[in-house]
Amino acid sequence: MPSLPLLLSALALAVAFAAGGRLLLWEQAHRQDKGSVLRLLLGESRRAFANHVFLKADAYFHQGFYPSVFDAPAPVSKTHLAEATEEAHHHDHSRGHAHDRHRDWLEAFGCNFQPAEHRHLEGLGQAREILPWLRLAAALDPQRVDTYTVTAYWLREQLNQVKEAEAFLREGLRANPDSHEILFELGRLYAENERDVLRARIVLELAIAKWIRQEASLPSPDHVSYRQIMGQLAALEERAGNYERALAHYTRLHRVSPNPAAVQQRIDEMRFKSAAPVVKPP
Amino acid sequence: MNTIWALAKVVVLEMVRRKDFYVLFILTVLLTGTAGSVNLFNDRSIVRYLKEICLLLIWLSGLVIAITCTARQIPAEREQRTIFPLLAKPVTRGQFLLGKFLGCWLATGLALAVFYLFFGLISATREQHWPVLNYLQAAWLHWMMLGVVVAFTLLGSIVFAAPSSNGTICFVVSVGILLLGRHLNKVALDLAQPWQSLLYGVYFVIPHLELFDVRDLIIHNWELIRWEMVALATLYAAAYAAFFLFGAWWVFRRRPLN
Amino acid sequence: MEPTVAIEDLRIEYRSRDLGEASKVAVNGLNLVVGRGEVFGFLGPNGAGKTSTMNVLLGFVPPSSGTARIFGVDVREPIARQRIGYLPEQTYYYKFLTAEELLRLYAGIFHIPVAEREARVGAVLKLVELEHARNRQIKTYSKGMQQRVGLAQALINNPDLLILDEPTSGLDPLGRMKVREIIQRLKNEGKTVFFSSHELGEVETVCDRVAILHQGHLKAEGRVTDLVAQHAANLEQVFLKLVGYASQS
Repeated sequence: MPSLPLLLSALALAVAFAAGGRLLLWEQAHRQDKGSVLRLLLGESRRAFANHVFLKADAYFHQGFYPSVFDAPAPVSKTHLAEATEEAHHHDHSRGHAHDRHRDWLEAFGCNFQPAEHRHLEGLGQAREILPWLRLAAALDPQRVDTYTVTAYWLREQLNQVKEAEAFLREGLRANPDSHEILFELGRLYAENERDVLRARIVLELAIAKWIRQEASLPSPDHVSYRQIMGQLAALEERAGNYERALAHYTRLHRVSPNPAAVQQRIDEMRFKSAAPVVKPP
Repeated sequence: MNTIWALAKVVVLEMVRRKDFYVLFILTVLLTGTAGSVNLFNDRSIVRYLKEICLLLIWLSGLVIAITCTARQIPAEREQRTIFPLLAKPVTRGQFLLGKFLGCWLATGLALAVFYLFFGLISATREQHWPVLNYLQAAWLHWMMLGVVVAFTLLGSIVFAAPSSNGTICFVVSVGILLLGRHLNKVALDLAQPWQSLLYGVYFVIPHLELFDVRDLIIHNWELIRWEMVALATLYAAAYAAFFLFGAWWVFRRRPLN
Repeated sequence: MEPTVAIEDLRIEYRSRDLGEASKVAVNGLNLVVGRGEVFGFLGPNGAGKTSTMNVLLGFVPPSSGTARIFGVDVREPIARQRIGYLPEQTYYYKFLTAEELLRLYAGIFHIPVAEREARVGAVLKLVELEHARNRQIKTYSKGMQQRVGLAQALINNPDLLILDEPTSGLDPLGRMKVREIIQRLKNEGKTVFFSSHELGEVETVCDRVAILHQGHLKAEGRVTDLVAQHAANLEQVFLKLVGYASQS
């Protein structure tokens, strides 16, 4: 007959195994959410770090010439990196108005020891230098959508690394399955770089669907994103010769465009093209 | 000068025979190596982040070496009573302080030389070019800055009894100046009087260590700094180091040793 | 001829660090003269003021009043220490240095020319019998060896005055004998030796003259033979009597 200590030991072992198994299951269930070492180490502060690291990428884009929090007269809404993805006009806000006149001799003297001229990474493939910080920003805060779209833009547009851009966008999509911004960027990649109309259409239409689900009911929806997706979709169909579809997209775009006259011109063009008989090459 | 040189050599030998420097150097090599081995979008030619990490580690190590080496000098001499046989010889207290300063500064310079050589190797292997003069300027300015740090840590080691408290205070002050020093004037502008004048006064009085931090110029391959500016910065550092050393001597000159 | 050590009306006072607490007088009105070539024993119980007096002679502590001169130079001048050798009570040396490096350091401080330096280092190491361990770091030395390094550094500049603070403290009988031999040799070379000790037998053996200090005051000074004859007792009994313990024995 087994003695009491032996029974107790067996019981303790059984409890330990059961608890271990339970913990393992729990850990596996939460792995996607809690698995990141950075999350474990930094907690929610990682978002602040991610923001800092993202700005670091912008500073790299300016070759170290960048305003500090004390220099900027007002918070900057978008980094130059992000602006570049939208092909917006680039404003020289890097040092505000301070760089041309110094407050005192120390500031004037100090200018000799730090980058004091607005420059961009412009040489062949130089833009690659911003990538590590964007990668780190994504690792720190996978829910920051900007990081994926900006990185993908630079990868495919400046560095000709379309495959890497696609992989990174897909990674972003796994972390943010409802992001119409990432879907838009992915659609853009298929349309402009891969010339894969079918996949581009699917992705962009999905982006529109996501936008409608998330934004349409809001009091002030993000019309810029909508215009971008719709514009991309319309251009895609136009390039593919699907003028009817393009017409439908341009018509939807016309409703929200800040420049309806230009869109109306495209609509008229699409109407003309869709009405004209298709000329087959001999 | 012979006496000061003899005392300085002991400090350098001490650093060479202690493990601190080797630990920091190996840590820098390991961390830089780890950062360099990360696969970033299958692109092996990305280098600036690696230069940034390496230089950050060098700056941290430089500060740690300068402050810990200096902070322990005089307290250890007093605690282990090595100061007695030393000052029983024809050594003035001024020579003693200058010897300690020179030793700590040279030891820090030696450490910096090794660190910057490693940095140069890393940069050369990835970038395929080696702007020696730029690196020399950066290392020189870094060393001058650490001269100021060594001098005020030496003063601190006479004022504060415990090397740990002195080390912590000097580290916090150095890092604080490096991060915020150049912005104090802007912060002052947003304050009401008399705080504005007070902060502006602090801005002009503190040694602006951040002037010597030219990491951004090195990382982003900017042009050389004008040599006359480097000379002026050297004079600026020398003036502050001399001021702190004079302060140290003033406090130490009549202090009983027992 | 200028005496080797001349102390006149010396007062050493330590200010208290605590507010309101009175300062402590370690030595009061001390007058002392040590002639050239003498071996002078400086005696007294703990707290008598011996170390404070030595600290003044070595420039560690400034005198509160009075003067102290070595070879006619005020002890506050560093040059006064050019011809001094000092052996502290315990070994206080840079333990990461080898004996050779330590001696070279001190030789450098005394501005001994490089050519002469190596010969001098070799000679003192031979004298203290540490030649075999000259390239080992001091931290690996036994206590006796460390004390001998101390003696070597005290002799590196071929001093005319040797100040020894409890030179045989903590040494085994063989070590003590060697120290006594070295003191005797220095005496024969015409050097002045000024040393404090609790070993009264030892003092009796090697000293020409002694001074007995108690509570900061000089109680007696003179040749050992004179003191012994004057009090009709051995040095230990004289000492105990002067510091107020005679009645109890």
